[in-house]
Amino acid sequence: MMEFSEIFFKYKDLISIAVYGTAIMLIIIGLYGVLLKKHLVKIAIGLSIMDSGINLLFVAVGYIQNGTAPIFSPGHEGDVAKMVDPVPQALVLTAIVIGFAVTALALSLIIRLYKHHHTANIDQINSLKW
Amino acid sequence: MLKKYIIFALIAVLGFYLASTFKAIPFGANRLGDLNNPETVSAFYLQKSPEDLHVANTITAIVVNFRGFDTLGEVTVLFLAVTGLMSILYRKEEEETEERLAIPSSSLVRTGAKILFPLILVLGIYVFVHGHLTPGGGFQGGAIIATGFLLMLITYKTFYTNHNVMTWLESIAGLGFVAAGLYGLIVYGSFLQNTAWTGNLNDLISGGLIPLIYIFIGIKVGTELTSVLDTLLNIKPRKK
Amino acid sequence: MVISPVHYIVAPLLAAFAIALLAKIYKNAARLVPGIVLFYNIIVSLVLMPQVLEKGMISEVIAGWKAPWGINLVLTPFSAFLATSVSVIGFAIWLYGYKFKVRLKGGEVKYYEILQMMMIAGSLGVIITGDLFNMFVFIEIVGITAYSLTAFYRGRDGAEASFKYLLIGSLASTFLLLGILIIYTQTGTLNMAQIAERMPMVPQTMKITALIFFLIALGIEAEMFPMNGWAPDAYSQAPSPTSAVFAAVVSVAGVYALIRVTFTLFDVEGIHQYLIVMGFVTMLVAEISAVAQANLKRMLAYSSLGQMGLVLIAFGIGSHLAVFGAIFLMLNHAVIKALLFMSGSYFIYNSEDKRLVGLNGIHKRLPFVSAIFSIAAFAIVGFPPFSGFWSKFYILIAAGDKNMIILIIGILMVTIIELVYYLRTVARIYFYKDEVEHTEHRPSINAIISMSFMTLFIIVIGVYPDLISGYLHQAADSLLDKANYIQHILK
Repeated sequence: MMEFSEIFFKYKDLISIAVYGTAIMLIIIGLYGVLLKKHLVKIAIGLSIMDSGINLLFVAVGYIQNGTAPIFSPGHEGDVAKMVDPVPQALVLTAIVIGFAVTALALSLIIRLYKHHHTANIDQINSLKW
Repeated sequence: MLKKYIIFALIAVLGFYLASTFKAIPFGANRLGDLNNPETVSAFYLQKSPEDLHVANTITAIVVNFRGFDTLGEVTVLFLAVTGLMSILYRKEEEETEERLAIPSSSLVRTGAKILFPLILVLGIYVFVHGHLTPGGGFQGGAIIATGFLLMLITYKTFYTNHNVMTWLESIAGLGFVAAGLYGLIVYGSFLQNTAWTGNLNDLISGGLIPLIYIFIGIKVGTELTSVLDTLLNIKPRKK
Repeated sequence: MVISPVHYIVAPLLAAFAIALLAKIYKNAARLVPGIVLFYNIIVSLVLMPQVLEKGMISEVIAGWKAPWGINLVLTPFSAFLATSVSVIGFAIWLYGYKFKVRLKGGEVKYYEILQMMMIAGSLGVIITGDLFNMFVFIEIVGITAYSLTAFYRGRDGAEASFKYLLIGSLASTFLLLGILIIYTQTGTLNMAQIAERMPMVPQTMKITALIFFLIALGIEAEMFPMNGWAPDAYSQAPSPTSAVFAAVVSVAGVYALIRVTFTLFDVEGIHQYLIVMGFVTMLVAEISAVAQANLKRMLAYSSLGQMGLVLIAFGIGSHLAVFGAIFLMLNHAVIKALLFMSGSYFIYNSEDKRLVGLNGIHKRLPFVSAIFSIAAFAIVGFPPFSGFWSKFYILIAAGDKNMIILIIGILMVTIIELVYYLRTVARIYFYKDEVEHTEHRPSINAIISMSFMTLFIIVIGVYPDLISGYLHQAADSLLDKANYIQHILK
């Protein structure tokens, strides 16, 4: 039975590709949704996916090999050396909330647009030049 | 058609660019530097959070104290999103309210929701009260509370949140946060500065103002997320 | 309690959270409180400004953790000057819009006032913060309020403009976060002074990658070409006082963020040339588009983009005189463009026609507003007796010092384009005959006070530019002296 640290060490490149790759793929998929989808709700979903990608990237960057959560719970007061970087996690909290706020506003705007134009297709909503 | 290919090309370039950038930032590497003689902010926070603030959860210490100003801004963003949502979807008062679109739920769901709702609220409150000791905190607890309200809103057609109570709770929680900050400004000369008394590590009542502020944040986030859900769910169907 | 920079942010926040409660007790509270808060911000500026000039710089720590560890607020002469002008113009816009919002009903006023006040407060936050991530948070505050206010009116295509703005804004915040993340991994800090200090140690590729992300993101906020398509739509669909805030406050904060990041944080070669080129393209495209506009507010919006382009050019030239001219132009643009939107909205209100055609012969009905609009139009083009002349003059001299002949010719050509469409507009007001029936809406007394005050400012500064040039020289010095910024904060 291999320890996690050994597995990590052995497949380090693969894991890093998996984590960073997932995050970057999410950003790209989100961007694709925002730029090329025609349905307003799909665009909003694209925005959320993009945000998730960024958040994942933040947390991934803060990870330290074999790290534990940066919480000094009873019995773990001396584990400072093993703890992962806490700052990206705190920043992600802010980023998530801001992403939520933007998504909520986007959805409410979609409702307004749908009521006004009776469609959610971006090609048919063109009173202003897009 | 051409536009589509250009966008594909741009996205591909961005992807390649990001991938090559993050390839140079090794995954899992320790970038904190010396923990005893901190040069990076993370090392400093890991050192000071248990020593000076006596807060077990370093992330809470960062969110509420070290970078508390960000959090104040973040709470404001949420507050402004609710305000903006209401202004965008504003309904004139003379319009009569209709039942919102919801499929009638079965009695199983209705009973289950009634049992679960108080439990969810208690869990949410637990999470934000223990924000400085265990994973979680005001934002997470607030989100849990909002899911409880969401459950009620989609189960019962007649369930309405009391807007008056919501406004009061939200405003008082927000003012409480700012007041806690002003306390630091007046007493110690620095906005949001924590009290000198911080108790012992891992006690429920410890960390000075930090748990109090996180409770305010929890209440505020809970009420705000609930108002967002409430506003979005109470949109009337389009007249034919 | 001693007045300190944090009051700029705390007072609006306290008011925003309290307005909902106060409005239940006293109906007009929602309308009055923002005015009180914005006036308080002017007082804060007046108290802090002399201190900044005396000490050279004020930095305030938040939560008691000194500079590199906690968040800090910095008032350099540059940011103090911008913060002062933003608070004064913010108050003037509030005063202008006070009566205007009587027409809105009940709850709407509350939402409107909170959002508008927080938009100004968020811009102030962007200007005074000394922390990179904190800047992101304030940019998002400005963004959220701007999206909501753009969609404020039901009857217009506001929701569409707002959605467009929201999409571009979210792209901006994504890129901003990526930039911040890369910088954080390389330097291990978020404090701007410390990042600047550690920047020479960062590998060149990382530096350039991060810089590109920042330029895309902040370029969107600073209305730089090619990502400024949102601006004309947002400006033209938003309520008029909000258009004035966009032009006078939000764009100033955007340019400040861009300049602070490119000038202080990064030490990459070629950034000045990039700013000049992009600024010039922005200016050229915007001014040519402005000529083609048939809608008054869209025309003003494109003109605004053009001015921002000129500001970027001036910062790009990078000499002391050019930066001096750029800051002067930022101030002038804020005052004059706000005035143009204020007076222009009365034309629209009267003729109920958003097109330029609605302006025909309107001076008979609105002699005072027409006069103000004309003065502002001449001032923004850069006619000598007004303040707009000096800023353009100094920028041209600075370009001449660096032997940038092509740039001078370019700026003068664009000025002629500008002259064409503003003269055309003024000619419509005074010399065309109106055929349509007009409704009579005289400007309210508070709007008259606000607009006269700003007109007076344009003329007085035009005649005695020395009144503020001392501050401006210090501001330019403080922006260019990066070592002092780092040393003062980290000492």
